[in-house]
Amino acid sequence: MDLSTYRITGDAVSVKLARSEIIRYGASIVCVAIALGLAVGAVTYGIHDLELPLFEIAIVLVAWFAGFGPSIVAVVLGSLCYTYFFTEPLYSFDISHDDLPGFAIFIAWAIIVASFVNVRRRVEADLRVARDHLQLEMEQRKRRDEDVRKLNRELVMRAAELNASNKELESFAYSVSHDLRAPLRHVAGYSELLQRHASASLDEKSRRYMQTIVESAQRMGSLIDDLLSFSRIGRTETKSAAVSLDQLVGDAVAEVGQDTGGRDIAWKIDALPVCYGDRAMLKLVVVNLVSNAVKFTRARQQAKIEIGCVDLSPDEVEISVKDNGAGFDMQYVNKLFGVFQRLHRAEEFEGTGIGLATVQRIVNRHGGKVRAEGEVDQGATFYFTLSKARSAAERTANL
Amino acid sequence: MMGTLGRILLVEDDPRDVELTLTALEDYKLANEVVVTRDGQEALDFLHCQGQFTARPPENPAVMLLDLKLPKVDGLEVLKRVKSDDRLKMIPIVVLTSSHEEQDMMRSYSFGVNAYVVKPVDFHEFVNAIKELGVFWAVINEPPPGSIKR
Repeated sequence: MDLSTYRITGDAVSVKLARSEIIRYGASIVCVAIALGLAVGAVTYGIHDLELPLFEIAIVLVAWFAGFGPSIVAVVLGSLCYTYFFTEPLYSFDISHDDLPGFAIFIAWAIIVASFVNVRRRVEADLRVARDHLQLEMEQRKRRDEDVRKLNRELVMRAAELNASNKELESFAYSVSHDLRAPLRHVAGYSELLQRHASASLDEKSRRYMQTIVESAQRMGSLIDDLLSFSRIGRTETKSAAVSLDQLVGDAVAEVGQDTGGRDIAWKIDALPVCYGDRAMLKLVVVNLVSNAVKFTRARQQAKIEIGCVDLSPDEVEISVKDNGAGFDMQYVNKLFGVFQRLHRAEEFEGTGIGLATVQRIVNRHGGKVRAEGEVDQGATFYFTLSKARSAAERTANL
Repeated sequence: MMGTLGRILLVEDDPRDVELTLTALEDYKLANEVVVTRDGQEALDFLHCQGQFTARPPENPAVMLLDLKLPKVDGLEVLKRVKSDDRLKMIPIVVLTSSHEEQDMMRSYSFGVNAYVVKPVDFHEFVNAIKELGVFWAVINEPPPGSIKR
């Protein structure tokens, strides 16, 4: 139950209270009137000395059932009636000197009884309120528990569904991996065998056709491999640990640098922080970005590749990989990170177009963002954000 | 295939893969060493000299090239059974599969496979891989006692 329903029940309670106020004071007046009637009746029948007890009973009843305010009213009314109807001089509010002490005792007694009764009543009322509150709270808790249980059930169901679809995806990837590659290998293999056997009798055109078949099969093979490893990124769990980006970038650059074939590349690598993440996956990010930078600067006399970082906040850092290569037109920037999206012709730059999609998926899984800036023939800069490993304590806690 | 020395046991259900593999081994004159079984059960029959193989000499092959996706008894099951059989467990087994799946690799190694090779899509790479496997296991490697001699 929320606050507004609370307020509504509060309003209802105050309306009920106002109504019961009238009833209580009315009851007080009615009680005194009944006592007066009985007393007058008793006197007419010659029974005396019953007036005071009757009024006292009325006061006690009022105090018990109607509360302190009404009981005071009953005391006042009772004493007025008593002085008016039953003490000398009759039918006046004057009190004779003889009756004064008795009258004072009556009032004092009535007030004491009224207040005692009242204290008791109030305690009881408080108890009742407390009990009601408790009941209300219990009901609310029960309802909340029910809600939690319901949510829990839903969650378990969702998890099962997710698990099932994950399994399905896995078996899909598995059969793609097993069953799609085999015929492809046969296409490539038999084309190659045909080429070998019939090469002499084939003309130039036919040989080109054969070559295209072989190359296409190979290309499809690498597309399938890339797609499978891309889907594996989504399926495998990430292991979070402190990762020294300095070391990681050093490794990645050394790995990519092996295949640069003596090209003139000017590397500029800033000091980089220690970040949180899965080392193998983050390395894949850096290797992809660095090898892209190397690939797209192929036409440059001297390639310049800069790896830098900027603190976005005390917890977050943005790493950039900048090159002076082929660049890209900013109007296609949204296509850049898509699966199998390429902004260059296959003859210009090789590749399947999975690299940046992989980068984005990994960075997103780490809670970071990727973006890119570029200009045709002026180079490109790729950025990704990561959370920093803040303190040594946190670092060791997550190792 | 009967009547050959049969030092290489190839377990492969796809006839095209069988042909491509034999083509690759031909270059090193190893093709006539190969016994081909077409599913897991046939491979086990061969190894246990039972069924159609009751008449064969009881020596073990020098190497077994095993595909994972097989009809009847699959490759992992064959691997598990061979590696838990005292008479057969010394036979070197090379898993030869289409798949890069890590779980297959992990399970194969946990069952004690001797090598795990993913068949390359590129034919030249495929031929090279098969040749090297054939030469290494059937020529260079000294097979365990009880294997078929050259």
